[in-house]
Amino acid sequence: MENRIVRELSDIANNPYEMARRQRAASGQKIIGSTLADVPEELIHAAGLLPFTILGTNRPIRRASALLPDNACSLSRSDLELVLTYETDLFDGFVLPQVDDTTQHLSDIWRRKIPTSFFECYLIPRQVDRPSARQWLLDETNRLKASLEKFTDRKISNDELHKSIVLYNDNRRLLRKIYDLKRQDGDIIGNRAFFELIKSSMFLPEETHTRELRHLLPQLEKKAPSGANKGLRFVVAGIVWEPPAVMTILDELKINVVGDDLCTGTRHIANDVSTDGDPVAALVERHFKKGPFSPIHNRGNRIQENLVDLVRRYGADGILYLHLKFFESQDYDLPDLKQGMGEEGIPMYVLDTEYQTTHLAQVKTRVQAFAESIRGE
Amino acid sequence: MNESTPGKPRVKELMKKLTQDYYGDAARAHNEDRFVAYTTAVSPVELFVAHDVIPIYPENHSVMCITKRMTTRLSTAIEKKGYTTHLCAYARSDLGYRELGESPIGGLPDPDFLLACNAQCFTLTKWFEVLSRRYGAPLFVFDTPQYIRNKKARRNIIRYVEAEIYELITALENLTGKKFDYDRLREVLIYSRDACRLYKEFLDLAAHKPSPVNIFDALIHMAIIVYLRGTPQAVQYYQGLVDEIRREKVAQGIGVIPNERFRLYWENLPVWFKFREHANLLASYGAVILTSLYVHSWSYDFDVSDPIRTLAENYTSVFSNVELEERAERALDLFQRYDLNGNIMFLNRSCKAVTFGEHELREILTQRTGIPVLLFESDMGDPRFYSEVQVKTRLEAYFETLERLNV
Ligand code: SF4
Repeated sequence: MENRIVRELSDIANNPYEMARRQRAASGQKIIGSTLADVPEELIHAAGLLPFTILGTNRPIRRASALLPDNACSLSRSDLELVLTYETDLFDGFVLPQVDDTTQHLSDIWRRKIPTSFFECYLIPRQVDRPSARQWLLDETNRLKASLEKFTDRKISNDELHKSIVLYNDNRRLLRKIYDLKRQDGDIIGNRAFFELIKSSMFLPEETHTRELRHLLPQLEKKAPSGANKGLRFVVAGIVWEPPAVMTILDELKINVVGDDLCTGTRHIANDVSTDGDPVAALVERHFKKGPFSPIHNRGNRIQENLVDLVRRYGADGILYLHLKFFESQDYDLPDLKQGMGEEGIPMYVLDTEYQTTHLAQVKTRVQAFAESIRGE
Repeated sequence: MNESTPGKPRVKELMKKLTQDYYGDAARAHNEDRFVAYTTAVSPVELFVAHDVIPIYPENHSVMCITKRMTTRLSTAIEKKGYTTHLCAYARSDLGYRELGESPIGGLPDPDFLLACNAQCFTLTKWFEVLSRRYGAPLFVFDTPQYIRNKKARRNIIRYVEAEIYELITALENLTGKKFDYDRLREVLIYSRDACRLYKEFLDLAAHKPSPVNIFDALIHMAIIVYLRGTPQAVQYYQGLVDEIRREKVAQGIGVIPNERFRLYWENLPVWFKFREHANLLASYGAVILTSLYVHSWSYDFDVSDPIRTLAENYTSVFSNVELEERAERALDLFQRYDLNGNIMFLNRSCKAVTFGEHELREILTQRTGIPVLLFESDMGDPRFYSEVQVKTRLEAYFETLERLNV
C-alpha cells in the first residue's frame, strides 16, 4: 500500500509552489529562492527566512530565450523561465550562487530583470584544493550573512545558526538512513519516491520535512528486505535528475539506484555540519567535505574516482549518466569519463536530457537497452 | 608611405621576428631543460616570465588554426571522440590538434604546468583539465570571483587573489626547484606596465578622425601584448608601432578608409576566419570598426609599487569578470571617447563568457546611446555556423537604417 507521507512529499516535490504560498501566508515568513548549488540553507533559515531551492520548470521556455542564448544550459534557462513567467510573485528575495560563466551571467540578468527587494550572489570558489579557497569562502559566507541580516534588520546569533545546523543535520541524517534502506532493497522505497523525499526537503520548511521523515523512517524500517528485488543496481551521475520521469522509468525497469553524485541527491544530503566552534566556519568546512562537482576544480580526476568508488562500494552494475543539454562542464568531462569507465570495466550510459524533454518513450527504450546490455540479453 | 627610419625595422617585420623567436624558444624549451607552462591570455603571466618559465597560450595557437581554416577538420576529429560542436572553437581546435598533430606552426611543446584564470572564462578550466589529464601536468585554477560592485566583497576578492598569487609562486618554486625572485618580478612588471600603456595608446589612436587604425589592426597587433607581456621586446614593439602610425598616418591625416562615415563598435571576439573580409565589406559602406572591449582586455594599468596587489586587481577586473552594468560603462566610455555611431554585436556561440550577458548589454547600450544595434549570431571559429548571406543582408539593412537615421 502506498505510504501517506511518501505520497504527500511526492506531491510537494512535483508542485511545491502552492504549499510555499500557503506557508508564507500562515507564517508570515519571507521566501528566499536560491539556485543550485551549495547555498548554505542553514544561514537563510537562521535569519528567520524560508529557504527554497529553485529547480527549474518542465513547462515551456518562453521569455528566457530573449535574455539567455539558446546554448545556455537547460537548468539555467528553466530557472529563469520559472521566475519570469510561472512563479512571479512567490519569492521575496534571491541568493544566486556562481560557479561558471552561465551562472555568472544568470546572476546579472536575474538581478536586473526580476524585481525583488533582496538579491545577493554567492561567489563560490571554483577550486577547492588550496587553503586560499577556505578563507575566501569564509569571507563570502560572512558577507552573505551580513547581507541577510541587513535585509531582515536583525542579527543572526550563533545560537540561532547552531540550532538551524542541528535541524538540517537531522534532516540529512534521516535521508541518508532511508537511502541505506533503499540500497538494501529497492522495494522498501522506489527511486522516484526516494529522490522526491530529497527534492521536497529543498522546498518544505525543514521542521515540517524532518518531522515527516521521523514518522516515515520506522515505517520503512519495518518493511524487512524482501530479497525479492533482484533487479540491477545503478549509480546515477550528473547534476539533476530531470525530467523526473527518468526515475519513474528506472522504477518500471526494476532498477535500484544505490548511489549518485547529483546536486538534487547525495550532494544535498551528504556531510553534516560540525556543531562545534564557530558555526559559519563549520558551514564552510562542510563545503570542503563534499564530493566532487563538475564545475569546481579539484586536483586529479575526482569525478571519475568518486563514481568508481560509488559503484564498487554499493555493488552497482552500471552508471546512468544524465547529461544536461548544454551543460558545458559535463561536455568537457564526458569523453574522458567514458574512456575511463571503459578501462575500469564499468558500463556507463550517457542519457541526454533537458528540462523540456518530451520523448519519454525513447528515453525508456534507451535505458532499457542499456540495462539489457548489462544483463547480457 | 614614408620610408622606415634607417636601423629601425618596421613593426611588421619586428612582429614576425618576435613571433618566430618566441615560438623558437618554446620549441627548444624542453631540450634546454626549461619549463613550459600553458596559460590563458588573461592571466598573471608576469610570474612565469619572472621565474623563467615559458608561457604558452593554446588560445593563440588556436587562433592560428582558425585563420588557416583548419578548425572544421580539427573539430571533426574530436567530435568523433564525443566532444560536441558547441564547445569553444579554441578548445576544439586545440583538442583536435592534440588528436591529429596538425598545426600551422609545427605544434606546441607539451606543458609541465597549466594555469587557467577564470576572469576570462570558465571554459578554459575545463579545457585545461582535459590537457592536464592528458599530460599528467598539474593545473592551477587561478580563481577570480566576479568583481562585483560591492566594496567589502572587492576587498575580500583581492585578498583571495593575492593569496592565490602566493600559492602560485610556491607552485612555481616547487616545479622548478628555484627560489622566486621578487626583484625580478618588479622588473618584469615595469615592462608589462609600459607595454600595456603603449598598447592602450595604440588602441586609442582610433579616437582620431579619420581613424588611422581599425579593430583589425588591433586584432593583429594584440598578439604581442598577449604573449610577450613582461618583456622589453613588447615595450619596444608598441613604441615602434605607435610612432610609426603617428608618423605615417596621424600626422598626414590618413585614415583606414578614405571616406569614413560610420565609426563602429564591435562587441565580442571577432569572427576570426572572416575578419579581413568584414573589413573590406564594411569599407564599401564607408564604415570602419574601431574598437571593442575585447581588444582592451590587455590595457592593464599596473602600479609597480605593490606588485602582488596590482596583479590581483588588474587580472580580476577584466571586462568579462565585472557586472554587466560596469561592462556597459566601459563600452560607453569607448563610444564617447572614439565618437562611435554604430554598434555591431556578435553573439558568439563559442564564447559563453562574453556572450551570455549580451542581450542585456545591448539593452543598456541602446538605451544610453540611442544607436541602433546590429545583432547577429555565429561562431568565431567554425565556418559551419557562419552564414555569409545572412551577414551580408543584415549588414546591408543595418547601414540603410543608419543612413535613414542620418547618423
Ligand atoms: S570561451 Fe571565450 S574566453 Fe574562453 S577560451 Fe573560448 S573564446 Fe576565449
